[in-house]
Amino acid sequence: MSQIELNLPDIGEGVTEGEMVKWLVSEGDQVEADQPVAEIMTDKATVEVPVARPGKITSFKVNVGDMIPVGGTMLLMEAGSASAQKTKEEPAKATKPEATTQKQAAPSTQTQSKEISPPVAEVTVLATPATRRLAREMNVDINQITGTGLAGRVSREDVMNYQKSSESGSAAPARTLSIPSMNYQTFNGDLEERVPLRGIRKKIAANMQMAKQVIPHFTLMDEANVTELVKTRKQAKEAGAAYGVKVTYLPYIMKALIATVREYPMFNASIDDEAGEIVNKNYFNIGFAADTPTGLMVPVVHNADQKNILQLSQEITTLAGKARDGKLALNEMKGATITITNIGSIGGSYATPIINHPEVAILGMYKIVTKPVWNGSEFVPTPMMNFTVTADHRLIDGAVAANFLKAFFKKIENPSELFLHMV
Amino acid sequence: MSQKFDTVVVGAGPGGYVCAIRAAQLGQKVAIIEREYYGGVCLNVGCIPSKAMISAAKFLDQVQNQSEAMGFTIGSVKLDMGQLKSWKDSVSKKMANGVEQLLKGNKVTMIMGKAHFESDQILKVKTSSGEESIEAKNFVVATGSRPLSIPGFDFDEKNILSSTGALDLEKVPKKILVVGGGYIGLEIGSYLAKLGTEVEILEAGDTLLSGICEPDVVQVIERKLKKKAIKLHYKAFAKGYVKSGKNITVTADVKGSSQEFTADKVIVTVGRKPNSDEMNLSAAGVEVNPLGFVKVDKQMRTSKSNIFAIGDIAGQPMLAHKASHEGVLVAEVLSGQNRVFDAKTVPAVIFTDPEVASVGLTEKQCVEAGYENISVGKFPFGANGKAVSLQQTEGFVKILADSESHVVLGVHIVGPQASNLISEAALAVEMGARLEDLALTIHPHPTLGETMMEAAEAALGHAVHIIQKPLSHKKKLQPQPAEL
Repeated sequence: MSQIELNLPDIGEGVTEGEMVKWLVSEGDQVEADQPVAEIMTDKATVEVPVARPGKITSFKVNVGDMIPVGGTMLLMEAGSASAQKTKEEPAKATKPEATTQKQAAPSTQTQSKEISPPVAEVTVLATPATRRLAREMNVDINQITGTGLAGRVSREDVMNYQKSSESGSAAPARTLSIPSMNYQTFNGDLEERVPLRGIRKKIAANMQMAKQVIPHFTLMDEANVTELVKTRKQAKEAGAAYGVKVTYLPYIMKALIATVREYPMFNASIDDEAGEIVNKNYFNIGFAADTPTGLMVPVVHNADQKNILQLSQEITTLAGKARDGKLALNEMKGATITITNIGSIGGSYATPIINHPEVAILGMYKIVTKPVWNGSEFVPTPMMNFTVTADHRLIDGAVAANFLKAFFKKIENPSELFLHMV
Repeated sequence: MSQKFDTVVVGAGPGGYVCAIRAAQLGQKVAIIEREYYGGVCLNVGCIPSKAMISAAKFLDQVQNQSEAMGFTIGSVKLDMGQLKSWKDSVSKKMANGVEQLLKGNKVTMIMGKAHFESDQILKVKTSSGEESIEAKNFVVATGSRPLSIPGFDFDEKNILSSTGALDLEKVPKKILVVGGGYIGLEIGSYLAKLGTEVEILEAGDTLLSGICEPDVVQVIERKLKKKAIKLHYKAFAKGYVKSGKNITVTADVKGSSQEFTADKVIVTVGRKPNSDEMNLSAAGVEVNPLGFVKVDKQMRTSKSNIFAIGDIAGQPMLAHKASHEGVLVAEVLSGQNRVFDAKTVPAVIFTDPEVASVGLTEKQCVEAGYENISVGKFPFGANGKAVSLQQTEGFVKILADSESHVVLGVHIVGPQASNLISEAALAVEMGARLEDLALTIHPHPTLGETMMEAAEAALGHAVHIIQKPLSHKKKLQPQPAEL
């Protein structure tokens, strides 16, 4: 039996290394084709790595906590399926060697096809063979470059400039900010423990620092009377149960948010600093912050405006579950146009959230508390809910944000108004 | 006995040997396995021997038909076919020996034997001294293709010949019937016609060269074939044959009615099929598409990540230079470089008389690619001084370009030395050249190459050496009618 290596596959999206988080098998285990054997955490997500073919795990080549480069060897295994071994024991089955061959062959296609990165130049791309090769070696997708030459020809300089701009642009915006890396002087080292800052935590750290550095934040706070919303949601919760769907408040908040954003489109925009342009988006992808064991994740409900309350509830439940288990696909975390953070489910009456750059606003929702509210003649016990809107002051003025929150409250306090905006 | 290598290449044709050499140059431990001859079909029974025969036939043709006008009187010319055959063999041998020397010089382990996969990790090779087991980090399958036969016409290489037999004739046949009017059939038919054989060609379609060439190019070839008294039959399907004495009588369905053709030899050149049914590829888990080509991605990687396929077995066009390009590419990928097949065009050359060569898009492909306005420049060899002095004035250079950007989309040549002229056009297409780039490059006079410059000028509407009607170079393409 030959020894084969399992290497960390190219996960795509520019991921170059991953942290070995957990073995899902032990040395000596017999594994089936496609069986996940390890969990790897990258700065984008946690993924499970499967084996391509059946066999027996001989030895692990990395330890939990190790960083593995793409293509690095993770483990050694002995090729050969459990069924092949059985064949030896039960000669009666030896008459079907073909079946075993096919079984081994079939799963290979799923894991073997290595993604070609960057993508192959389209035939319409005007660039010399040497320039095409240069772009590939510089890991630049030549299809994305607008050539400056005659008839749109992409020159060597175009490729170099593109890489420079993408290094300073959206790909790694933090670098241009020249954030000082502060070291930490300690006087009490014995009582401290050091762990590497890596994976999702490292990514969160970089994103937060960049967002806070780039965006001038301001937060507006107010409380809404949610008597009607509580009633509506209670009925919906019972009705939804018939479909096996748990209807929460979040889909209502999303609907009210989308209806309000339609009136104030700058809340759904982005600023392209480099181009010096405001990007208005005619689609509504709502991110929602989720607390997970590994840290903050922001799954995205794509085209939330085109989905009803039941669909939204279902999708939120699925995405939150995936986030908790570290199973979110990359596209499920990308492309949000505005984000909601629901800290209220844990506690705290108000917060000042950080905007998820390149978005320009984040809506905070907080715990519903029954408070005595003066109705003009008496104090009435009323369910109240705090909301905050945090906005990018470069694009959104204080008065606009105040009007935005007012318009949002109008909908959240009168959920029946949401029917007006129903798809 | 088991040997281990970084890379094992199976097949030493123009794909395999190039791949092995480049991989060795990049520091890998490489083995190449060949079952028949180094250099593969190309050097031994394909491109090279056919070029030797064609060059001999052309020489004879010029002596017989073109020398008189230049004032020569050369009585009758006698051909010693045995000598021609051994000269042709010496050409092939010289080239094949060269390949062996190059492999040796690059320290590639050469194994003569027949290989098959036992698994995706192990290759078994039957050699003259027994069976060897070979392991490698990566395998490259470059086992090529073989001539395709049709029912009722199994190759015996005596009566029914493939291209291999047709290039290895002991004597010049009196009459041959060529089944299949593709490029191999036309090359062989033309060379034999020049050596004095009476040639008839049966083509199943309604045009020669299976529609891959521009219709005006095919027209020139067809005219020349007829001039050489080669009879062409379209919509003709060979059904079967009987041998009586020295004659072979072939029955064929021609345009719906049955006809009989007699000849001493029948040459079947209806295409080639990939050798994917050999080597037990399925044991390695390598997937093959319904046409028999191994499925590969743009890095020539098969469905198994440690197995690559290049050349004829990996898909059309089945051309040696495509195989070599892929061989280099795979060797570099295996050495950790980021490479893909992103060539814009694979030039095609056909050694008919006159020669045909093309790169890039045909007019039809321009329509399919969505171009609406193209500029077409056509320059005849009849207006080129060098061609006239060579007495080879048939044909033209035709350039297609996008009318708006002037970017060259395709170049089609039929005429003398078309095969040697096309490389400039290939460079133009790869570089994304515009018509002006070709027109403003000074081409030396007097050469056949000037036709390229003139054709570019013609596409711009102002060729000097032909009279052009205003705007005659602009062509509005009709979008294709939707399929019903």
